[in-house]
Amino acid sequence: MIKSWFRREFLTPRRLFFNVLFYGTQLAIFAVGWYLQETNKRLAALNQLTYSVWVSRGAGLTLAFDAGLLLIPMLRNVIRVVRPKLRWLLPIDENIWFHRQVAYSLAFWAMVHTTAHYVNFFNVERTQVRRLSALDIHYTQAGGITGHFMLFIMLLMYTTAHHKIRHQCFEAFWYTHHLAFFFFLALYSHATGCFVRDSVQPDYIKSFPFYSTQHCLGYESWRFIIWPGIAYFVERIYREYRARRETTLSKVLVHPSGAMELRIIKPDFKYTAGQWLFLQVPELSRWQWHPFTITSAPEDPYVSVHIRQVGDWTQALGERLGCGPPVVAAMTKVAMDGVEKEDGFTGTRRDFVELDTDSVTRPSPRVRIDGPYGAPAEDVFDNEVAILIGAGIGVTPFASILRHIWYRQQRGSVGSLRKVEFFWVCRDAPSFGWFQSLLHEIELSQSDPNFLRINIYLTQKVKENMFWNIVVNDPGAEYDPLTLLHTRTMFGRPDWKRIYRRMQEAIEFGQYLPGREAQLRTRVGTYFCGPSALAAAIKEATQQHTTQSVAFSFSKEHF
Amino acid sequence: MGKLIWHELSRYVSLTASIYAVWASFWGVFFRKFFWDFAGGILRDPGGIQPNPRISVFITLIVGIPVIQIMTIAIGLVIIALEWPFAPITRIAFHRSIPVRIILLIFQAVLAALLYQGTNAALWSLVAVGFYVIALGLNEKIAGSTGKVHRAGHP
Repeated sequence: MIKSWFRREFLTPRRLFFNVLFYGTQLAIFAVGWYLQETNKRLAALNQLTYSVWVSRGAGLTLAFDAGLLLIPMLRNVIRVVRPKLRWLLPIDENIWFHRQVAYSLAFWAMVHTTAHYVNFFNVERTQVRRLSALDIHYTQAGGITGHFMLFIMLLMYTTAHHKIRHQCFEAFWYTHHLAFFFFLALYSHATGCFVRDSVQPDYIKSFPFYSTQHCLGYESWRFIIWPGIAYFVERIYREYRARRETTLSKVLVHPSGAMELRIIKPDFKYTAGQWLFLQVPELSRWQWHPFTITSAPEDPYVSVHIRQVGDWTQALGERLGCGPPVVAAMTKVAMDGVEKEDGFTGTRRDFVELDTDSVTRPSPRVRIDGPYGAPAEDVFDNEVAILIGAGIGVTPFASILRHIWYRQQRGSVGSLRKVEFFWVCRDAPSFGWFQSLLHEIELSQSDPNFLRINIYLTQKVKENMFWNIVVNDPGAEYDPLTLLHTRTMFGRPDWKRIYRRMQEAIEFGQYLPGREAQLRTRVGTYFCGPSALAAAIKEATQQHTTQSVAFSFSKEHF
Repeated sequence: MGKLIWHELSRYVSLTASIYAVWASFWGVFFRKFFWDFAGGILRDPGGIQPNPRISVFITLIVGIPVIQIMTIAIGLVIIALEWPFAPITRIAFHRSIPVRIILLIFQAVLAALLYQGTNAALWSLVAVGFYVIALGLNEKIAGSTGKVHRAGHP
């Protein structure tokens, strides 16, 4: 375990670089904070406390740095804008991961800082460098009160942010995390008590910031770290304002597999393929925003999301729209039975049902959308070959990307993109029927049979009736009996190493991309969305097979 | 609303509070101070606080010999062992009992509240107690260990 930890943190160049930079900076700031306190002649009185005061000042300065960094990865809109420009520099889609790393550091330095201050105040009381008791400083001065308050908020925020709690009750995490507002108020006012001073009494003044910097000799770090806080606050207000712009729910479609498709019209909503948004239905919950992948292409006149009724919020939404769980359950059951006999194999799956907003007794609910955000798949067109891999529900972003590619193909502007390999690994293909109908449309419209290749892997154990269905219907049929696509479904887990090795060989022999310039390096971009264990396996395969002439890259979509 | 399992949340609070209690009491051994010594005490310069002689029993147990500190460390370690859980302890019948946790946490809170360094640990222990009480009210049960090597905290 230690060996693999060491390998992950220190033997991967990028991670090593991050660790050295991130933790190195923190240690350097700690050292600076320590040094400036120890060598400041004006603070000679405080320096009688020796190590504890040096440690507390150093850790305090590091905490200020961490707290300033904490909100930067959460500036979603800023990230969306700078993302394309900074992608080469840092893995900007790992913003939440970075937020967590900063939070862990923050907890560590808070421990150091608090421990040192407990010693400081103990010694202040003992030696009476100031005529105060330790508890006076702890519980009557601004620094002490805000400090204990922040520790308490951290207890609540960190414990509810544990991934187990977040997964079982997202609301507990989401609402508790808004205590951050009070945390930051306390943080910015933590130094207002003029604790670090060369005068006997705190030197308060009438005007902002209400203490004089002539005698109050703190590091004034709040002047720098308040800006990310203000930026974040402004961004939240802006998001709220933008979400209130005119939005109408124009259509609700129910697919036979049970997925609801919401078509939303919002004129000022601009996005690129593969991005996602937050959806709110105030009638169901005034505060909850739910993330969904956009499934329409930017060229479409509407924004659509596909929603499966799996949680209580999505079920309530279905209920409200008049296609609640019982209705859908019946439809899903039919769809799950796989390929219905009565449908025959005419090539199309039964169509979706459109819910007419007039026929439903209640008018359709107001909706709000916030976004778009994220998605590494924006840069698909910079590659010669794009490998799109969706696992399970992780296939949703590719709906938008495939549609977008299709639109661009129609216009004849696919950039350097020559070939798209689409992999779909899933346990139960029939439950994603809506996606199949989309694939079907795209497959039909392909003029160049070599441009898009669809590979579907079904990992589920095949039931007996499904097995007979395949045996009876598959040989010689034009369409695959399970997915009704030309493409045959493959069974079992894909062997990624073999797939990548074959692709690398095929490209190098020039079979794969006819007319490829041999001296140019072929760029093959992999875009993956799904569980992280699978991501690791695929990433390893891409790294292994990168050669002089073929460069495989890998990026992972985050929900 | 997703369903929050209160004893799982409480486990993290209880672990945090107990680790804090152990850490605080460890420092309390070196910097010995009775939290409530201001009651009837006099602040003198030089000399610091002069506690009221009527509370001398606490002064003896905390400043004289760090008995309370060592007891808090001990109870904190017991709670950590119970919550983590430490493999041998899973053989004890009551290692999954919520009431046992509540009692231990109240003890920890009372002991920690006597120490200068222990007030946050005491407060946080009471928060964990509160969450466990809610868990009891909802009739939650702590899931059993499989008897195999425990990987608590790992999904």
